[in-house]
Amino acid sequence: MPILTLLIALAVIAVVGFVLGRRRALASASGDSRKLHSLPSYYGYNAALTGLVPALLVLAVWSVAQPMVLENRAQSLITQEVADDGAMNLIMADVRRLADGLSTAVAQGALAPGEAATLTTDSTDVRAILADVGVALGSDVGPDTLQAAQAYRAGALSGALWKSALVLLIAIAGTAFALMKTNAAFRARNTVERGVMAVLIAAASIAILTTIGIVLSLIFNTVEFFKMYPAADFFFGTVWQPSFSGRGGASELGLLPLLWGTLYISFVALLVAVPIGLFAAIYLSEYAGPRVRAFAKPLLEVLAGIPTIVYGLFALLIVGPMLKDVFGADGALGVAWMTGDRAVITAGLVMGIMLIPFVSSLSDDIINAVPQAMRDGSLGLGATPSETIRQVVLPAALPGIVGAILLAASRAIGETMIVVLGAGAAGRLDLNPFEAMTTVTAKIVSQLTGDSDFSSPEALVAFALGMSLFVITLGLNVFALYIVRKYREQYE
Amino acid sequence: MKETNMTNAKISARAVQVYYGDNHAIKDVNVDIEDKTVTAFIGPSGCGKSTFLRTINRMNDTIDICRVEGDILIDGEDIYDAKVDPVQLRAKVGMVFQKPNPFPKSIYDNVAYGPKIHGLARNKAELDQIVESSLRKAALWNEAKDRLNAPGTGLSGGQQQRLCIARAIATSPEVLLMDEPCSALDPIATAQVEELIDELRQSFSVVIVTHSMQQAARVSQKTAFFHLGNLVEFGETDKIFTNPEDPRTESYISGRIG
Ligand SMILES: Nc1ncnc2c1ncn2[C@@H]1O[C@H](COP(=O)(O)OP(=O)(O)OP(=O)(O)O)[C@@H](O)[C@H]1O
Ligand SMILES: [Mg+2]
Repeated sequence: MPILTLLIALAVIAVVGFVLGRRRALASASGDSRKLHSLPSYYGYNAALTGLVPALLVLAVWSVAQPMVLENRAQSLITQEVADDGAMNLIMADVRRLADGLSTAVAQGALAPGEAATLTTDSTDVRAILADVGVALGSDVGPDTLQAAQAYRAGALSGALWKSALVLLIAIAGTAFALMKTNAAFRARNTVERGVMAVLIAAASIAILTTIGIVLSLIFNTVEFFKMYPAADFFFGTVWQPSFSGRGGASELGLLPLLWGTLYISFVALLVAVPIGLFAAIYLSEYAGPRVRAFAKPLLEVLAGIPTIVYGLFALLIVGPMLKDVFGADGALGVAWMTGDRAVITAGLVMGIMLIPFVSSLSDDIINAVPQAMRDGSLGLGATPSETIRQVVLPAALPGIVGAILLAASRAIGETMIVVLGAGAAGRLDLNPFEAMTTVTAKIVSQLTGDSDFSSPEALVAFALGMSLFVITLGLNVFALYIVRKYREQYE
Repeated sequence: MKETNMTNAKISARAVQVYYGDNHAIKDVNVDIEDKTVTAFIGPSGCGKSTFLRTINRMNDTIDICRVEGDILIDGEDIYDAKVDPVQLRAKVGMVFQKPNPFPKSIYDNVAYGPKIHGLARNKAELDQIVESSLRKAALWNEAKDRLNAPGTGLSGGQQQRLCIARAIATSPEVLLMDEPCSALDPIATAQVEELIDELRQSFSVVIVTHSMQQAARVSQKTAFFHLGNLVEFGETDKIFTNPEDPRTESYISGRIG
């Protein structure tokens, strides 16, 4: 049974359970809902949830576990020599593709169901049959690959059948059980409360588990990379020069130039975004009338909605050439500081513009959180609005504003598109902001695009770079949240 | 009212109306507040005492929806005139708010805030002097003298209220508006603040909002009774408390409306 049908069936069971549960509860109180422990609909929800929650849980667990089990079983059928994990992964990808292909062939009638399960490479040209139904295979099919694929497919078919049966059974049994227990004294309200909690916990666990999964995969691949490339050379190397020709050896993968580029560009960006964003926030929250605010705030937020790739284009095609016209060789200043369009200053400037609404809307919230009584106190002593802001509002809001700036910094550090387009491609340790440099994020992109071998250090370094970036931004975010929270306590 | 009264008055309000949006909070109030006297505003909660007090130093300007009509003259000058700088006005007309609102700064800096802004002290020693005498007058010196650098927000509610009083008198205003300055104070501190009010009367005029009839009777020479945005009765405190003209005043004072 396809998963969609299964879900619809579950929904039908839940609705029926709801209706029956409600009716049964009312019947047990002889139609007088005041005699019930809980409101009638709680009995309905109870019946629906008691069936639905365990059924969905089993469905989820089974859907995750089944491919793993099947894959293990199929792997044991592969008899040929397999060099390493990477090669095994490639073979298993073939197996899955082949299994899918067989199913497609059966669905289109090119193969009879029985035939698909039994055919062998000796008697049939599997590749040709699959090509006829639109599934292209890269190479001829080996006998054990075919066998593994057939086993995989058979397992998947029977697994799906068992899964549907079990899930439906659980849903019906759960609902029936809840209906059995339904009577006027049953505390359906409390049970529903627990059911709701279970649903919420499930949602939270998914969020947390995926995060853990991502971090773990980062860590594993980073460890893998450090097996091939010394960690000390990575963290303290001052040269970034990957070679794509041979494996390892020739490449120099030093983090420092990239980290420097990242921090330098972020610094320039903050130099632009923080004063402008902060002053805009102060103007909007302290000086602007309601009419200006009503129109300027959404306008700033539009800036926040522009995709970063557009900022990237803007950096590459407009800001870069414009800066070069001023600071370049034949520029307005005649200083010849800037040789190309791409430079730290180009990317930093545009990234700063991107961050302005971020800084201003966060600061605006924080400034507005400073109680009006505080301003009144200062104004009542004969202070001007700007004295009030400088001496009372900003000091009171400072921790929050610092938090906002740190959050902006962590966004700047993680920003990719603008630097890919605006900053350049050469890793360089240099102080000149008119020089092209590159960042960690930009290099992650360039290491993974192009046809590199995903198990070479040149590709795996992306994980180590990602991990370093993750640790830095995580640290910044934690620090920012700590500061923001500390600030909140002051007024609560 | 007679014209002669008007010239004696420190503050005179003429046909003052205050609106919060559509809510007509102060209705046609006329009053003359004399120099070197204490005037008490009494009345049930929500009748507009704070609102009227805030019109006297234009603190209502900070509320977007608030609109003030009529004239308020201080020393014969209309404070709502376009020429008048509200910042200057507020330096002259100090205010203690209903809710204590110390700045998130040290106790010392809270009190020194006004004098610093207006350049009232020529050097640190003079500033120290102003801070000490203000804290003494507000009956906070003994509790605060060892922790002048501790944050003002860390004081108790009553201490914060006295800190706000000290802060307001540190700038030596000519008029001091006090909105329920004793609402969070114990009887001893209340007595000290009342003593301060009496002392301030030698040189300033003081307007105090209070919910305590006894306090109004003790500290004030003039009393104004507000009810539903109207100034019902204004006169000598003794007369208001012993022989009020308006039946509403009498009911309020004897505790029948409120
Ligand atoms: N900031 C404001 N915005 C809108 N309406 C307000 C505002 N402040 C006061 N009001 C309204 O104005 C009226 C008078 O309020 P005000 O604060 O002057 O009363 P009060 O006499 O000081 O009362 P209390 O003794 O409780 O302090 C009330 O109806 C109140 O709802
Ligand atoms: Mg009030």
